[in-house]
Amino acid sequence: MVVPLNTWVLISNFKLAYNLLRRPDGSFNRHLAEFLDRKVLANANPVDGVFSFDVIIDRGTSVYSRIYRPVNAEEPQPSIVDLEKPLSADIVPVIIFFHGGSFAHSSANSAIYDTLCRRLVVNCEAVVVSVNYRRAPENRYPCAYEDGWTALKWVNSRPWLQSKKDSKVHIYMAGDSSGGNIVHHVAVKAVESGIEVLGNILLNPMFAGEKRTESEKRLDGKYFVTIQDRDWYWRAFLPEGEDRDHPACNPFGPNGKSLEGIKFPKSLVVVAGLDLLQDWQMAYAEGLEKAGQKVKLLYLKQATIGFYLLPNNNHFYTVMDEISSFVSSDR
Amino acid sequence: MKRDHQEARGGGGGGGGGGIGKGESSSMATGKGKMWEEEQQQDASGMDELLAVLGYKVRNSDMADVAQKLEQLEMFIDTAQEDGISQLSCGTVHYNPSDISGWLENMLSELNVPPNNGNFDPSCVVLNEQMIQAASSTINFSNSRPNSDQRPPPPPPTPRVLFEDDLSAIPGGALYPQRDSSESQQGENNSRKRMKTSTGSNSSALLSSPLSSSSSAEIRVAGATAAESTRPVVVVDSQETGVRLVHTLMACAEAVQQDNLKLADALVKHIGVLAASQAGAMRKVATYFAEALARRIYRFSPQDSIDSSYFDILQMHFYETCPYLKFAHFTANQAILEAFAGASRVHVIDFGLKQGMQWPALMQALALRPGGPPAFRLTGIGPPQPDNTDALREVGWKLAQLAETIGVEFEFRGFVTNSLADLEPAMLEIRPAEVEAVAVNSVFELHRLLARPGAIEKVLSSIKAMRPKIMTIVEQEANHNGPVFVDRFNEALHYYSNLFDSLEGCGLSPPSQDVVMSEMYLGHQICNVVACEGPERVERHETLGQWRERMSAAGFDPVHLGSNAFKQASMLLALFAGGDGYRVEENSGCLMLGWHTRPLIATSAWQLAAGAGAGAGDSQ
Repeated sequence: MVVPLNTWVLISNFKLAYNLLRRPDGSFNRHLAEFLDRKVLANANPVDGVFSFDVIIDRGTSVYSRIYRPVNAEEPQPSIVDLEKPLSADIVPVIIFFHGGSFAHSSANSAIYDTLCRRLVVNCEAVVVSVNYRRAPENRYPCAYEDGWTALKWVNSRPWLQSKKDSKVHIYMAGDSSGGNIVHHVAVKAVESGIEVLGNILLNPMFAGEKRTESEKRLDGKYFVTIQDRDWYWRAFLPEGEDRDHPACNPFGPNGKSLEGIKFPKSLVVVAGLDLLQDWQMAYAEGLEKAGQKVKLLYLKQATIGFYLLPNNNHFYTVMDEISSFVSSDR
Repeated sequence: MKRDHQEARGGGGGGGGGGIGKGESSSMATGKGKMWEEEQQQDASGMDELLAVLGYKVRNSDMADVAQKLEQLEMFIDTAQEDGISQLSCGTVHYNPSDISGWLENMLSELNVPPNNGNFDPSCVVLNEQMIQAASSTINFSNSRPNSDQRPPPPPPTPRVLFEDDLSAIPGGALYPQRDSSESQQGENNSRKRMKTSTGSNSSALLSSPLSSSSSAEIRVAGATAAESTRPVVVVDSQETGVRLVHTLMACAEAVQQDNLKLADALVKHIGVLAASQAGAMRKVATYFAEALARRIYRFSPQDSIDSSYFDILQMHFYETCPYLKFAHFTANQAILEAFAGASRVHVIDFGLKQGMQWPALMQALALRPGGPPAFRLTGIGPPQPDNTDALREVGWKLAQLAETIGVEFEFRGFVTNSLADLEPAMLEIRPAEVEAVAVNSVFELHRLLARPGAIEKVLSSIKAMRPKIMTIVEQEANHNGPVFVDRFNEALHYYSNLFDSLEGCGLSPPSQDVVMSEMYLGHQICNVVACEGPERVERHETLGQWRERMSAAGFDPVHLGSNAFKQASMLLALFAGGDGYRVEENSGCLMLGWHTRPLIATSAWQLAAGAGAGAGDSQ
């Protein structure tokens, strides 16, 4: 189990910063969090084949999304008026992305996620819409899910995001950590409301339950993450007084809703073998399977959390390839 | 991740920890196994490229050392637990998080001072006062705003638990040198009492966090970033008509550039039609840009030469309506205050005094300094008045009155000049650095110098001759000075669209007079950017990246603004309606205020480069 040195530095740096931000009384040092977070601007000038711009998708909540588009071969330098120009290819997957951060950290314009989204665009030849959902503890459940839902409706209703082939938006959803959790819940809402989502991609998704699983106990504190900090984030996100068997964190738990018989999107669930949440993540995949849903589980034995933030390990490339195939199956 | 304490102790190391080479030698000199592999990802300047993309500057050669520091801090947190954490998160002032090594070093050096040494740092009082002043404009500074002095200061935000925690953490260092901290033995109670009496409100000191010293470790990162060409676009209005309006505006600019005046004229008229059917910010922006285009097409003398005092009034309304100027003053004052620590005589040279709105807050803050205020000298610079009144002297007089009421020894001098480049340092009677600390302050003034060749160089050189302890610069965060008209036009269109949109956010319907006049203030700028050329085009805004290069080349080093300034600026914003959209961002030691994700103004602070003689010399 060897982690590249710069990965270790990156994730330990985050871990240290995050330790400073969580207060024992459940409050969060938001000012210091925003000060420390490294952000990048959107850039309508293409860089390595990708350009981006921000759109405010809900004035009332100030929620914006950052849109990433691949550059068109015929138009290497899009002008400002071309930002919302219709897609030119027959089929273009549109991936709605929900960044991680355990519901409390990071933003759509955080450098780590801006970089990840750009890589997704290039690898998948897709448009990526990264949602800047509202965060805990200031905004608890269900705000993040509501913002995800708002984004889904927004994407679905953009004529310029439609694929030429069938004049429909080919929607996928992806997210890491809390983002993965959001993907699940927005997908449930999508099914209930009749919006078609073609696939869900969950990277190290954040799930939990009251019981302590074997992997949590075994890996507690070993690879950047502790049970204690996970508990803190759930207390910050869930409605006050709720426990971890709430369906938000435990969708297949005692209070969960059955997904049997509904047309849930196919799922790609990526689990890192050194992530203490893996038992919950695998239980999630199992839960989907039992409900008759299509799921592919990708278990990366030697991976820690955050492996997908730096392209300096095999897992990164494995996952990128899987995601690319996953969103291209109807091309 | 505990690196491998368990594995080493456990000897067996099977199970979850298996696979860690215990026998491997490690450059970490701990003798324990490595959890990582060295990777070679170097770029030309020895920086780790992958981390650089993520916003972190770490030299490859420093990577192992950085890892070690991370471990040290991890161990500290493990042992000290909550007390340790709260010391680092509340007591410590953080700087420039992109420089991980410096950030960690800063925290480690904080920890060398025993916590709980009983000193509540009263400098938080100073900043608290400043912030209240900034937010409330209780000093009646202009006769044209009759009600301003009747307005009570806005109540501070409802105290929440988190502020209490902040205050209960006793910071490690102190902002002031040892002799001052011994004077603050009374600590907490005194400063709270002091605040109560002076503000007259019942905010019990809950608006700020304790500061600690931390002169920043000025690690010069190799390889200056070139001014990147980035087009940050925030789309606020995706409606059909809005898009068509933008298209038409840009097409018109294109026509103007190609000297196709007939087409340009037709398009300007069409813009008028389209704009009329728009609402809100987009209509106003389009109208101002169309007017500016028309002036350019017909070569009208660019603007009725409105006299500068009228312009000052417009700026005051802008000051009231939205937080940009307040942010500018607040953050600049913060840097000046910190630079003036320990000085008994101080001299501020304000490159654009106008109505002097920046100074009451600073003076109040100085008045509340532990150990008493320094003697405060202000040199205010301004343009000649058409009616020959001495506007500067009037402002100086009002400030003198304020100084008297708050007990600050005050001296004022005004300098009238058409251009900063005409100033000679000798005129300003600078006193030696040991006698008097000098701060040079420029809010939205420097860019005007770019209209005359050689002017900025001359001014920067004059500033160096003044040997300032600090120079504060606030500028619009935009490139409105490119050589190609169409590019400039497009940049400005997006910039002012965002700016007007933010005014919309804090407006009422119908918009108050403040808002209307703020829009005129901005409209004036738009006209200058679009319709003027040559020496008349003074609104030559440039980005932080560009100013950094210029300052660096001229022999200045950055002085970093830290997490305390960031926090207080953020809290200041929360006092404004429409606060949701405003965002403060830290950028390598500078602070920027933006609307949603688009930074609109940037505050930076500078000192003479090490080796250039006098200066803070805080590099470690």
